[in-house]
Amino acid sequence: MMEIQSMKELIEACEREKKSISEMMLMVEAKKSGRDEDTIIRMMEERLIKMKEAVDSGIKDASTAPSGISGGDAVKMSEYVRQGKSLSGDYISNAMSFSLATSENNARMGVIVATPTAGAAGILPGVLFSLHKNDGTPYKELVKGLFTASMLGLVIANRSFISGAAGGCQAEVGSATAMAAGTIVELKGGTPQQVVNATAIAMKSLLGLVCDPVGGLVEVPCIKRNVIGTSIAFSAADMSLAGVESRIPCDEVIEAMYKVGKDMPRTLRETALGGLAMTETGKEVKERLFCRKS
Amino acid sequence: MEFQSCFDIIGPIMVGPSSSHTAGVVSIGKFIYELLGDYPQETNIVFYDSFAETYQGHGTDKALLGGLLGMNTDDSQIKYALEKAKECGMQYQFEFENICEYMDHPNTTIVTAKRDDHVVTVGGVSLGGGLSKIFMIDDEMVSIRLSAGDDFSILAKPYQRKEKVLVKAI
Ligand code: SF4
Repeated sequence: MMEIQSMKELIEACEREKKSISEMMLMVEAKKSGRDEDTIIRMMEERLIKMKEAVDSGIKDASTAPSGISGGDAVKMSEYVRQGKSLSGDYISNAMSFSLATSENNARMGVIVATPTAGAAGILPGVLFSLHKNDGTPYKELVKGLFTASMLGLVIANRSFISGAAGGCQAEVGSATAMAAGTIVELKGGTPQQVVNATAIAMKSLLGLVCDPVGGLVEVPCIKRNVIGTSIAFSAADMSLAGVESRIPCDEVIEAMYKVGKDMPRTLRETALGGLAMTETGKEVKERLFCRKS
Repeated sequence: MEFQSCFDIIGPIMVGPSSSHTAGVVSIGKFIYELLGDYPQETNIVFYDSFAETYQGHGTDKALLGGLLGMNTDDSQIKYALEKAKECGMQYQFEFENICEYMDHPNTTIVTAKRDDHVVTVGGVSLGGGLSKIFMIDDEMVSIRLSAGDDFSILAKPYQRKEKVLVKAI
C-alpha cells in the first residue's frame, strides 16, 4: 500500500509515476478505499456542488448570524467589486467575496463543506470559484483541484495539525491557505515541485497565527481571516509560478508549524481565553451572548 | 496516520460553524446512538478543555445531542437539537472539566448514556476537520475512527451489548 508521508515523498512519487498531485491523490484513494475512481470523483463533485450552493446562498444573504456579530459583509463586498472599485484585481476580489459568502453561511449554521475545517471553509471555494469566473476553469478541473488540495492537506494533517484547538489558527486558516495556494498552481499548470513550493510560501506567511475567536464563535476574526487567506493564496501561487522558491522546504515549514503550535499556550488555542477574544470588545460580546444563559 | 482519505480533508458536508466542535461531535453522538440502537433516555455529558470553554458558541451541546438523537453532520435540524431532545423526553445534563485523565486532547468528551437497562460510558475525541475517534467504551480503551461518511452502525456492532444487565447507574 502506498503511503505518502511527506511533501518530498509526494514530489518523488509524482515524478516517478508521471502524475500530477491530483492524479496521485485519486490513485491513492482508490487503492486505500477500494472504491473505483468514478465513484470517488462523483463524491468529490458532490462536495464541489455543496460549496457552490454555499457561495450562491451566502452572496445574496445579508442577514446576521444568530450571535449578531457577523453577516452582511459578502453582500457589501460583492457590490463594491461589481462597481469595479476593487484595488486587488478580479481574481483576488472575487475570491474575497466568495469566501465571505461561505464563511458567513457557516456562521449561520448553514451547510458548508469543511476544507479542511469549517472555520477555514471559505478559502478553497473562494479561490476555486474565482478561477472559474475569471478564466473559465471548468468545474471538472475544479474537482481535480479538490484532489490536489486534499493531498496537500493530508500530508499537513498527518505531520502536524489542522485544528485551531490543537495548533492555533496557523493550523486552520494557515493549512487551508497553503492548500489553496498549491491548488491554484496545479490548476495553472505548475509542476508538483511548484505546487509544494507555493504551499510552503503560504504556510510560512501565517506561521504563528493564534486562534482567538471572540466568544468562542467561528466568526470574529475567523471570517475575515478566510478572506485574507484567499489573497495570500494567490500571492503565494504567483510567486511560485514566477519561479520564486521557498528557502525552507515545505516539510520543514510544516514541522515548524507543529512545534510553534505545541508551544502555543492553551489560551491561544480556541479556548477564547486570549488574543482578540480577550480584548475589551471581545469580552463584552462574550458577556452579552452568554452570561444571561449561564 | 489519523487522516486517511481525501474526504477527511475535503469534507464533511456539514452544518456550521465548526468541524471539530460541531461536526466531529455529531459523529461521536451518532456512534453512541448506534451503540444503544436508539437515542438514550438519560445522558450525562462531560466536556473538557476547549469544549468546556467554547461549547456555546460552536453549538457543541446541540451537536452532541443531535448525534445522540441519530442526526448526521449535515442535518439542518441540529440547530434545534435541544428542543428535539426535550420533545423526546431525553433527560440530559452537561458537566465541564479542564482536563480529561484518559485523553490528552483539548476536544474531548465523555458521555454516559442510558437506554432502558443498557448503560454505556463512551469517551470521544474530535481530531479536527470533522474526524473523530472513540477512545473508550466502558472500561475498555479502544480506537475507533469516525469519519462522517462511514456507517457507524457497522463500527458500533462489535461493541453492542445485547442482554447485559445494568452495571452502573448514571
Ligand atoms: S481563529 Fe480559531 S476558530 Fe477562528 S478560524 Fe482561526 S482557528 Fe478557526
